[in-house]
Amino acid sequence: MLAIHLFNGLVYGALLIIISSGLALIYGLRRVVNFAHGALYMLGAYLGFAIMQASNFWVALVLAPAAMAFLGVLLDRYGFRLLQDREPLSVMLVTFGLLLILEDVVVFIWGKTNYSIFTPELLHFSVTLFGESVPAYRVAVLFMGVLVAVGLTAWLRFSRVGLYVRAASTDPVTTSMQGVNTDLISAGVVGLGCALAGLAGIVAAPFLSLSPSMGSDVLIDSFVVVVIGGLGSLGGAFLVAVLLGIIQTLGAVYMPAIAVLLPFMLMIAVLIWKPSGLAGSRT
Amino acid sequence: MHSLRVPALLLIVGILVTQFVQSGSLYSIFTQAVIYAIFALGIGILLRQNGLVSFGHALYFGMAGYGMGILLAGSGMPAEAAMLLVLLVMGLSAFLIGLVIVRVPGIAFSMLTLAMGQMSYLLASRARGVTGGADGMGIAWPAQVFGVSQSVLLKPPTFFLISWCIMVAVLLVVSLILATRFGSISEAIRDNEERARFIGIRTTVPRALIYALSAVVTGIAGLLSSLNSGFISPESLHWSVSAIALLMVIVGGFRQLAGPIVGAIVYVLIKDVLGDLATHSMAIFGTALIIVIVFAPEGIAGVLRHWLRRPQTAASANELPGS
Amino acid sequence: MADTEKKTEVDTHVLQALDVSVHYGGIRALDGVSLHLRKGQVLGLIGPNGAGKSTVIDAITGRLTLTRGRIVLDGEDITTLSAEQRRKRGISRSFQRTSIFGGMSVYRQVELAAHMTGLADARDDALDILAELDLLRLRDTLGEDLGYGEQRRLDLALALAGRPRVLLLDEPMAGLTMQESMDMAEHLKALTTRRQVSVLLVEHDMDVVFRICDAVTVFELGVVIADGDPAAVRADARVREAYLGSAA
Repeated sequence: MLAIHLFNGLVYGALLIIISSGLALIYGLRRVVNFAHGALYMLGAYLGFAIMQASNFWVALVLAPAAMAFLGVLLDRYGFRLLQDREPLSVMLVTFGLLLILEDVVVFIWGKTNYSIFTPELLHFSVTLFGESVPAYRVAVLFMGVLVAVGLTAWLRFSRVGLYVRAASTDPVTTSMQGVNTDLISAGVVGLGCALAGLAGIVAAPFLSLSPSMGSDVLIDSFVVVVIGGLGSLGGAFLVAVLLGIIQTLGAVYMPAIAVLLPFMLMIAVLIWKPSGLAGSRT
Repeated sequence: MHSLRVPALLLIVGILVTQFVQSGSLYSIFTQAVIYAIFALGIGILLRQNGLVSFGHALYFGMAGYGMGILLAGSGMPAEAAMLLVLLVMGLSAFLIGLVIVRVPGIAFSMLTLAMGQMSYLLASRARGVTGGADGMGIAWPAQVFGVSQSVLLKPPTFFLISWCIMVAVLLVVSLILATRFGSISEAIRDNEERARFIGIRTTVPRALIYALSAVVTGIAGLLSSLNSGFISPESLHWSVSAIALLMVIVGGFRQLAGPIVGAIVYVLIKDVLGDLATHSMAIFGTALIIVIVFAPEGIAGVLRHWLRRPQTAASANELPGS
Repeated sequence: MADTEKKTEVDTHVLQALDVSVHYGGIRALDGVSLHLRKGQVLGLIGPNGAGKSTVIDAITGRLTLTRGRIVLDGEDITTLSAEQRRKRGISRSFQRTSIFGGMSVYRQVELAAHMTGLADARDDALDILAELDLLRLRDTLGEDLGYGEQRRLDLALALAGRPRVLLLDEPMAGLTMQESMDMAEHLKALTTRRQVSVLLVEHDMDVVFRICDAVTVFELGVVIADGDPAAVRADARVREAYLGSAA
């Protein structure tokens, strides 16, 4: 039984990797704590659900994140870019307003009932892992998490665009003075971040049911991951995501309340001792 | 005296309402608004005086209810004493917490309070033995509180008026506190913390005191709520509750001390009274929030003030004569 | 012999920075700097940008921690005291980048500053300073509603409040017109003479410096390269080369 829970913890951790990396990327480029990230995750899931009604899961897997990417570009172009001289706190509150709007939109279009999506035919079987039988779909989710982690790291480290992104994250003024179009990069990265949120949504849909509150819970967890992992450090976020996934899943079954509180206590400790990442305006 | 104007006006409004409104259910809605207004007032104090945005004040709102539930269940303490004790303990612990956390700047503070709030929510949800867990707990209010029997107290118009008067009293007391030297010191710290230090102000204690004050005010709202419903559940501690209250503060405007009250009234108006619009109330608030932040940071109260009065000089806006 | 000499030095110097170094991140902002301010003196601090002039004020007032050295105020070692504590002991400063309280009225913030030093007649002190700096008519205006020059004067007023013994002024004339600078210099000289304040003045405007300072210390790259009587400093070859330009 322990192995199953551990496995499920890793699966949730993989999901957190996908969604938190989006959050971290957006923060890195625009210094925005995106409160709407959970809502974007939820929107991705519902959009995927809608697309699946018309065709199949695999099409949804591609189209939903693409749609979210488009939304992300709009969000950056008409939201973050225009607000970039404002207090980070103000922008964060604006994304909170966006969260409220998005949640309402989802309820308006799809209503409040929970929906279930079936796992795609292709992955509708079981695999034996360490003597336990687990759904192949969940193994696939694990792979997706690893893929995203490795892919993002490689992209940032080795590609030219990745270099620009890292530069723009560290020092946008100098980077744009070097001739790099930081607005274009930002739009791209925010689009990517939102796409990742949407991807996490559609990936999660088959094993977590769709509900208008699904964004809320994931949001808090992704905040915990990004803060403890260290803002701007994707590697740190990945590690914490996996650990948090395991703690949440095991904690629900085995551990006393303290274990579930541990991530929050750690998050608070990090914020007290090293608030520098979230302290204030980018000067 | 300026600081008496707004509370007096509000008092009159409250009394007028009781003269003209008959519907019991309307009073229930109004009472909800008042409770939220006091809650928002607490958050507003923190934002106005410390410049800090708290996403976790539901902690104090819910803890007041849980405190009462626990004290009234076992200790045989009279309800009046229990209420006092709850507020005292809340103020003290908030002050101690404040000493640590008010030094954390900007968004970091907000995220920290978010974590604090969620922790309390999880704790309350899991500690079945003490808090009744996810189901919540009933609060054993005695038959008489402050000498008044419950059946009289909880009649919708009565309870509304009492809550309204408490709100006005809180507003008055807070304005008086902020008009003292302490108020000047905390405003200086808010305006320019570094310069405040360089004119000799030790900044941590005043800020922690403001935090404690904001917690106690929110706690008062929690007490009223627990009296009104006789029940407390972890839902009252959820971060979304803090966030909605914060929304009221910003949309209402936090520069004016009474701004959050305006925000709470607007919220309840849209949510419960305007019928059809109610289903989309969240989208409306989200939009209102964005509009206010981007175009009208002074909020509704600020806009009202510009319409109703001539431009203020600092003399009438901030000071009592001879201060 | 040496002992009595030292004793006299301590008596007449109200503020001393002794062999002060401030190093951070590989930068030696100050390197073995010593300053001596006599009671009632107006000491000018000049030097090119980045020479460490503002850093000296930051070090003396407690805004920066010293890597090495001591700060002595009237014989008392204040090196380990916080900024608030130093202020209460009578060391006050103004800021190069105007630092005032935007949401408070002029009178209220200056009175608060005076009050915080424990002064009994904070009200009178504040009114006196505002009158001298021509801010009395603006007493009820919010800090953020003042013009640039008025805000500079307010910054100065905040520093003067509470009868400090030592005043450290960081480019008080920054951004002011020629006329405004001259006016402020006159106000400064009048106020400090009347109230017997010892002043350390960091300034770029050479006319002001040589007009109101009793002595001048010259900085370059974190070290003192000359100090003494203004006329002598002006004539010093090293100073001319480093700062004033050989055309001076």
